[in-house]
Amino acid sequence: MALFAELRRRNVLKVALLYVIASWLALWFVQNTGDVLGMPPWAYSATLIALTIGFPIALAFAWMYEITPAGLKKSVDVDQTQSIVYKTGQKLNSAVAVLLVLGALALIGEGLLPKFEFPVFGPPEGDAPTSQSTPPEIRSLVLDNGLKIIVWPDHDIPNVAMYNFVRAGGRNEYPGITGLAHFFEHMMFNGTENHGPGEFDRLMEAAGSENNAFTTPDITVYTNRFPKTALQTVIELEADRLENLAIDPEMVERERGAVQSERRTAIDNNNLQLLFEQLLATAFVAHPYQFPVLGWPSDIASWTQEDLEQFFETYYAPNNCVMVFTGDVTPAEVFSLAVDHFEPISSQEPPAAIRTIEPEQRGVRRVLVEADAQTPMLQLGFHAGSVRDPLNIPLTLLLRILAGDESSRLHQLLVEEQQSAVSVGSLAPNGFDPWLAFFYLILPPDGDPQAVEETILAELSRTAIEGVTEEELTKAKNIMMAEHWRNLATIDGKAAALGNFEVYFGSYEALFAESERIEAVTVEQLKEAATIFRENNMTVGVLQPRRDEP
Amino acid sequence: MRCFLIGILALAPLLANARDLVPEPNRIELDNGAVFLLVEKRDVPLIGIEAIISGGAITDPSGMAGMSELVASLMQKGAGERSAQAFVEAVAAVGGELTASAALESIAISGEFLSRDADLMVELFADMLIRPTMSAAEMTKLRDRKINAIRVVKDTNLVSLLPAYGSAFLFGEHPYANPVAGSEASLQRIEYRDVMRYFRDTVVPNNAIIAVVGDFDSAEMERLLTAAFADWEPQEPTENALVEPTPEPAGRVLLVNKPGTTQSYFWLGAGGVAIDYPQRAELDVANTLLGGRYTSLLNNALRVESGLTYGAHSRLIRPSRRGLVYLYSYTQTETTIEAIDMMIDVLESFRADGVDAEMLASAQNYIRGQYAPRFETSAQLARALAMIEHMGLTRDHISGYVEAVGATTIEAVNEVVRTVYPSRKELTFIILGDAEVIRDQVARYGEVTEISITDPSFKIQKSPD
Repeated sequence: MALFAELRRRNVLKVALLYVIASWLALWFVQNTGDVLGMPPWAYSATLIALTIGFPIALAFAWMYEITPAGLKKSVDVDQTQSIVYKTGQKLNSAVAVLLVLGALALIGEGLLPKFEFPVFGPPEGDAPTSQSTPPEIRSLVLDNGLKIIVWPDHDIPNVAMYNFVRAGGRNEYPGITGLAHFFEHMMFNGTENHGPGEFDRLMEAAGSENNAFTTPDITVYTNRFPKTALQTVIELEADRLENLAIDPEMVERERGAVQSERRTAIDNNNLQLLFEQLLATAFVAHPYQFPVLGWPSDIASWTQEDLEQFFETYYAPNNCVMVFTGDVTPAEVFSLAVDHFEPISSQEPPAAIRTIEPEQRGVRRVLVEADAQTPMLQLGFHAGSVRDPLNIPLTLLLRILAGDESSRLHQLLVEEQQSAVSVGSLAPNGFDPWLAFFYLILPPDGDPQAVEETILAELSRTAIEGVTEEELTKAKNIMMAEHWRNLATIDGKAAALGNFEVYFGSYEALFAESERIEAVTVEQLKEAATIFRENNMTVGVLQPRRDEP
Repeated sequence: MRCFLIGILALAPLLANARDLVPEPNRIELDNGAVFLLVEKRDVPLIGIEAIISGGAITDPSGMAGMSELVASLMQKGAGERSAQAFVEAVAAVGGELTASAALESIAISGEFLSRDADLMVELFADMLIRPTMSAAEMTKLRDRKINAIRVVKDTNLVSLLPAYGSAFLFGEHPYANPVAGSEASLQRIEYRDVMRYFRDTVVPNNAIIAVVGDFDSAEMERLLTAAFADWEPQEPTENALVEPTPEPAGRVLLVNKPGTTQSYFWLGAGGVAIDYPQRAELDVANTLLGGRYTSLLNNALRVESGLTYGAHSRLIRPSRRGLVYLYSYTQTETTIEAIDMMIDVLESFRADGVDAEMLASAQNYIRGQYAPRFETSAQLARALAMIEHMGLTRDHISGYVEAVGATTIEAVNEVVRTVYPSRKELTFIILGDAEVIRDQVARYGEVTEISITDPSFKIQKSPD
C-alpha cells in the first residue's frame, strides 16, 4: 500500500495514463497521415514498438525524477516539504484532459469531417477532378517531363490494371515503314540495356502480372493486369523500357518472323480482314489510314534498324504517353513511385502533326478480291468525320439502328427477311482524323453481292430522307448507356475508358459527360449524320470465291 | 503492461478484409426442382443472370451434333406473346443482353441488364425458358445460317477449327466427339420434330440452375423469380449415363487439306482428366508453365526464341468425365515439320525435366495474380455460381483455389506432369494446311488420314456426327 501511495505521490500513475493516451494519439496520427506524408508502410509498427519500449522508461523516469522550481532533480534529493508534485499532478491532469478531448475529436472527426489534407511534403497528391460528374476519388498528375498519370482507386478486388497509351499508330507511317508502329509494340517486350530479351515478360509474370499490347491506326496501348503486390515491379519495368530500350538487331530478325506469322493468321488466312485491308487502301488515297496496321509484307521484311531507332526517339517520349492505373492502389503510392521512376526520363520534341487531309471523294470506288472461300463478302465504307466531330455520336447511334444488333434494320431485312446475308455489322469512326462509317456483311455461298448492295443503298437513302423514329433512337441510346456501365464494371474496363477519353478527347473527365452527350442527341441530328450515305462518297469491297481454273 | 498492449493493439487498423471471391449465395429451390442462387452486389447498377441447363453437345442425338446449340438459339427467336423480332426489340430497347448457347455438357442462358429493368428482363428470361415460340420456319432459317456460319469460320479463323477436328478424331464414337456448333452435315440432318423432342426433354426446371447476382434486393428478387418460374412444368428426368471415354489409338494423323493456304495449323492431343481430378492446382501450375502464358516453354521456344509462330499454347479440357490435353500452334507451310518437331521436343523435355523452384514460384504467383479478375462482375459471378452447382462442386472450388495453388510442391507438380501429359507415342495429330506440299512430310508422325476442309463433317465417317 505504501508503494502504491508513493507511486501516486510521485505522479507515476498519471504519467502512465498520459503516456497511454499520448501513444494512442500518436498511433492514430501515423495511421491516418502516413500515406500523405509518404511514410514507409512499416512506420506504424515501428511507432508501436518504440512506444512500447518507451513505456517502462517513462515510468522509471517519473519515479526517479521530480520537477521542482529549480528544475529537474532526483526525487530522493528533493526536500519533501518543498515538493511541488501536487502542482505537477494538476498539470498532468490537465494534459490528460486535453489529450482525451483531442482524441475524442479525432475519432469523431474521422467519421464526420472531410478528411484532413496535409500540405504535400512527399509524393504529390495529384489534381482532383474539376467536374461534378467525375468520381471524386480519381486523381491525375502531370510529371515535369510531360507524362500524364491518372489513378482511379477501386478496392473491390486486390488487383490493378495499368494502361500506357502511346500516341503512335498506323497513321504515323509512310510507304516503306508501314506496320512499324505495330512492330514497335512487339519490340517493346524484347529487352533493354538492363534486362535481356524475354526478361520483361519473365519478371512480370513471375510477379503475377499478365502483359499485352495492341496497336490501332491512332495509338499503341500497353496493358498490365496484376495483383497489387506487383505495383513496384510493374512501374520499374515500364520505366526501364521507356528509358533504356535496346533495339537488338538479332531480336529484330526474330520478331519479324513472329509478325509475319501474325499477318498470315490475321489477314492472309482471314477473308474478312483481307477484304477490309483492300477497302481501306481504296477508300483513302492520301491519308495514312490507307495503310494496314500490320504493314504491307514487303515493308515488314525490310524496315531497318535506323527506322526503328528514329521511331522510338520520336514517339516513345513521356510527353507522348498517358498512363492509367485503376484498382487496388492509392494515388499517393502510384505518384510516389512515378516520381521516382518515370520523372527522370527526358521529354522529347512533340512529334510533327499529320498534315494530310483526305480529299473529297468524287464518285463511287470499287475493289474486288478473289480468294479461296466458300462465302462471299461485301463491305461498304462512307467517308465521315473524326471521333471529335459533333456528329460522331449521332452517327454512332445511327449505325447501331442500321446494323448494330439483331433488332437493327439491316439485320432484320437482310438476315431475317430476305436471308440474302448471313450476318451484317457496322463500325463507327473512332480516330483522330476523319474515318469511315463502315458496313460489313457475310453472304451465303450462293449470295449476290450486287443485289445486297442495292438493297442496302435503298435503305440508306430512305434513312437519309425519312430519318429514324424516336423509339429507334431511344433504343440505340439505351444500348450505348448499358455498354457505358458494363465498361465501368471492371478495373480493366475503367482503365481502357479513362485512357481513351484522355487521349481522344483531351480529358479523361469527358468519359463522365458521355451519358449526357448521348442523351442530348436528337432524331434531326441522326438525319443530318445520314447525309454521308451518298453513292459518290462510297467505297464498295467485294470478296468472291476464286473460280477454279479451266 | 498487458492491458496497455491490448489497448494499443485494439487500435491497430483492421486487416484489409478482402471479399470472398464467390460469396455464399441465398439458395432457393422451387417445388418444380428449379434452383435459384442469389447474391446482392451493388457497385454498379447492373444485374447478371445465368441459367445452366444440363444437356449440351453430349446429349445431341446420334448423327445430329449441334442440336443443343440450335435449340438454344431457337429459344431466342420469340417467346411468350412476343414474335422473334418483338423479343429482340424488347431486349435491345432497354440496352439489355440475353443470349443462349450450348457447351459440351450444358446449355447456358446469360443475361446482363441495368437494375432498373429487372422486372422486364426476368419476364423475358422466364419466357425464353418456359414459353419459347420454337417456330418451324425460324428453325429452318437458323439451321441454314448455322451451316453457313461454319463455312465462314473455314474462311476466316482456321485455328479455331482445330479443337473440333481434334475431339472428333480422338473421341471416335463417344459423345465428347460432338462439335458443339455441329457440322455442316450434322446440322443438315436435324428436323423440326427432333428439335421439339430435344427441347421438351432437356429444358426443364429439374435440370436448371439459375444464378442472379447484382444490384437488387434479395427478398424482392426472390418474389420476382418465384412468380416467374412457379408454373414451369417439371419432367421425368431422362437417363443420361455418360460413360468414360476411351480415346482412339494414338500415333495417327488427320491431315485437313486447305489448298493454297500459306500456313499450317497443328494440334497435338491426347486423353486428359476430369473436372474432379484431385491434383487440379498442380495441373494448372504445370500447364501455365508448359503453354498457358506468354513466357511458357512452348511459346518461348516456338515464338520468342525462333520466330516460327505468333503463338504456341497448351490447353486442358476438363469435363465431368476424362477430357483432353492438347498443344497447338501454326507456322508458315515451309516450317511445318520444324515447328511440330520443336513442339514435341518441348513436351518431351518438360516430361523429363519437370519444374524447378523458380518455375514453380513464378507460376504460383501468376495464377494467383490473375485469378480474382475472373470473378469481378455480376455476370461473371452468376456464371461461376451456376457452374459450381451444375458440376456438383462446392464454393471451395473457387474460394480455396488460390490457397491450393500456393500449397503445390515441385514433387507433386512433376508427378502430375509425368502422369497427365502424353509422351510422343501417345499423341494424336491434327494438321491443317496445304496437303499438296506437306502430305509426305507429315507421314513421319503416324498413319495419315486426309480430309478436305470443304468436307461437311469434322470426322472421318464411321458413323455420322
